[in-house]
Amino acid sequence: MGRRNSILDPRTKLLLVFMEAVFVLATAGGERLYVLRVIFTILPFVLLITSRNYKTCITGIIVLIGVTLLERFVFPMLTGMLSYMLLTVITIVTRFLPAVLMGTYVIRTTKVSEFKSAMEKMHVPDELTIPLCVMFRFFPTVKEEMDSIRAAMRMRGISFGGGKVSEMLEYRLVPMMSCSAKIGEELSAAALTRGFGISRKRTNICRIGFGVFDYIILLFCAGTIIFWISGVMI
Amino acid sequence: MIRFDNVSFAYSANSKANSLNNITLHIEKGECVLLAGASGCGKSTLLRLLNGLIPEFYEGKRTGRIFIEGRAVEGRGIYDMVGKIGTVFQNPRSQFFNVDTTSELAFGCENLALPEKQILERIDSTVKSFDIEKLMGRSIFELSGGEKQKIACASVDVLEPDVILLDEPSANMDYDGMINLRQVIKVWKKHGKTVLIAEHRMNFVWDIADRVILLEQGRIKEELNREQMDNFTEADCRKYSLRGLRQIKPEEVELGNNNILIYKTGNEENADTNAALGKENVTDQKSNDNIILLCDFSYAYKGEKELFHISSMDISENKVTAIIGTNGAGKTTFLECLCGIRRCRGTMKWHGKGYKGKQRIKQVFMVMQDPNHQLFAESVLDEVLISMKDEDEERAKDILAEMDLLEFADRHPMSLSGGQKQRVAIACAIASECPILLLDEPTSGLDYRHMLEVSDILTRLKASGKTIITVTHDTEFIEQCCDEIRSLDNLAG
Repeated sequence: MGRRNSILDPRTKLLLVFMEAVFVLATAGGERLYVLRVIFTILPFVLLITSRNYKTCITGIIVLIGVTLLERFVFPMLTGMLSYMLLTVITIVTRFLPAVLMGTYVIRTTKVSEFKSAMEKMHVPDELTIPLCVMFRFFPTVKEEMDSIRAAMRMRGISFGGGKVSEMLEYRLVPMMSCSAKIGEELSAAALTRGFGISRKRTNICRIGFGVFDYIILLFCAGTIIFWISGVMI
Repeated sequence: MIRFDNVSFAYSANSKANSLNNITLHIEKGECVLLAGASGCGKSTLLRLLNGLIPEFYEGKRTGRIFIEGRAVEGRGIYDMVGKIGTVFQNPRSQFFNVDTTSELAFGCENLALPEKQILERIDSTVKSFDIEKLMGRSIFELSGGEKQKIACASVDVLEPDVILLDEPSANMDYDGMINLRQVIKVWKKHGKTVLIAEHRMNFVWDIADRVILLEQGRIKEELNREQMDNFTEADCRKYSLRGLRQIKPEEVELGNNNILIYKTGNEENADTNAALGKENVTDQKSNDNIILLCDFSYAYKGEKELFHISSMDISENKVTAIIGTNGAGKTTFLECLCGIRRCRGTMKWHGKGYKGKQRIKQVFMVMQDPNHQLFAESVLDEVLISMKDEDEERAKDILAEMDLLEFADRHPMSLSGGQKQRVAIACAIASECPILLLDEPTSGLDYRHMLEVSDILTRLKASGKTIITVTHDTEFIEQCCDEIRSLDNLAG
């Protein structure tokens, strides 16, 4: 119970996902915030290392370096259509990757009960928290289902080769949805019989709370937002 | 403690047929009652009426009255039963809300807003009485099926309910898992809990239950007290179409030819012993050429040690071979490797040819444990057609007729029952003309009649020349239709 598998409080993590989305994905603040954006791009990698998700971290770094190299060396040599295509790829990867990695970090290091506790401390209503908790629990299950379905398709010789894309999508989605619905139903039944969502203040034995790292990151985020707003005002 | 007064019930989804008919029943405090009967006899419905899932979660129409500790259940919801009635469900995969075991145990108490100190005390005492110190603080995904079910029981126990309901708790479990479950139920009995168990494979609780209620099509067919239970024979089981009562380990099944080979998994050092074992056997059987030889099969999840390493295993052609082993020994993974959908090391040698990895896909067809994963088409007929090399509707219809599915040819596969889906998957296997058929626990959660159906199908397929390999924990099923046994035994277990 005392064992915490990440150095940050769930609330800080949620704020970071938000920050990544606003400043890196949507590039709020433009050129003026360039340095801060670089820091926000690096941050998810550091966090992944602290939580020992080395493989994801290294894969991410390789992709990022690859794209940067393309941007530096290949892009200037291209013209016309190709250069546009490459630019699109580069922009999508550099903008989305940090947010995706941050999301991965949050999902991998946050327990459902920690998340619930954090949402309660922020006085988020149960109507919103409970579905989000269920989703949290659901991601790994859906992934497992997807893997089995993909394997089955390979075995039955159904691949993206000949058929129509829409058909392929249907083949994949129909079994996945029916499996997920069944698991969702069983999961809800099991949770309900143990009083999940009973209208009382829930206790939580997992301790969440702000530590040194949380304060550093909160200060940094606050600084970024103030700097951004001051730029907009002027 | 619990009283049913002339209770009938019909689900809204299927309002024509009553799931329960005129049930009158009285269960004393501290009794351990076994509910037995074929699938669809109303066992689960009876439990759902008690824990409040009916009518809140599953809607339907109920007549008659139900009392728990003298209070009628009308107007009391699921939440009123929390802490009074606890339920253990069938599928360990889908009854956990948390990813780690300790949070899972705390979950129910947290919902009831008990003070933290009390929660920790309760967890402590449950962990002691269930003897599960080793399982605390671990990820749910690392546990075997039996261990998961133990955690599920423990997470019900921390709520300190007076009544505990178990809804087919052993469906996905191996022999050891069932023994574990038996231990847990004994603990509950000792603590004076009232326990209701709905179960097909009742052998592991037969001697600890106080009473058996046999249900048939929603009615109580017979009630047996302890004395009558002691005189209940295997022949009586057959008469009522129930699963047998003997507790036999799968590896101790007598098949007459004593053809059991044990392959150690999970440890590389044992590769040598396996090699020796395998070789010996190959020389034995060299006289008949009809074997499929599996050489150097090994698999490891990314970044983990080897799950299994089989230097050499022989499978007899045109026979039904059962692969047994504890939960977590890697049996399912082994099947996936064998049919070529999971990349691994290993070669399958057969009729002088070697098949590696994906080359096996054309030779081997696997019927998965959950057939939902492998049915994609819009109708049963299409499903069979896309499995064929050259689509031939006549032939497809023949196959469907053979599998007793012709009347469902135009139905969507997802609208069928579990057993029918399984038969569709087998029909696809026949259509694919793969000579080797793999089945992953085809009889888990099946009652006696459905188990016999599956073994009949396998016997027929064997007669038509197929080689069948099935992973199973089901002793009765092995006795019914398997010719040989191979055991993948996990050393850690």
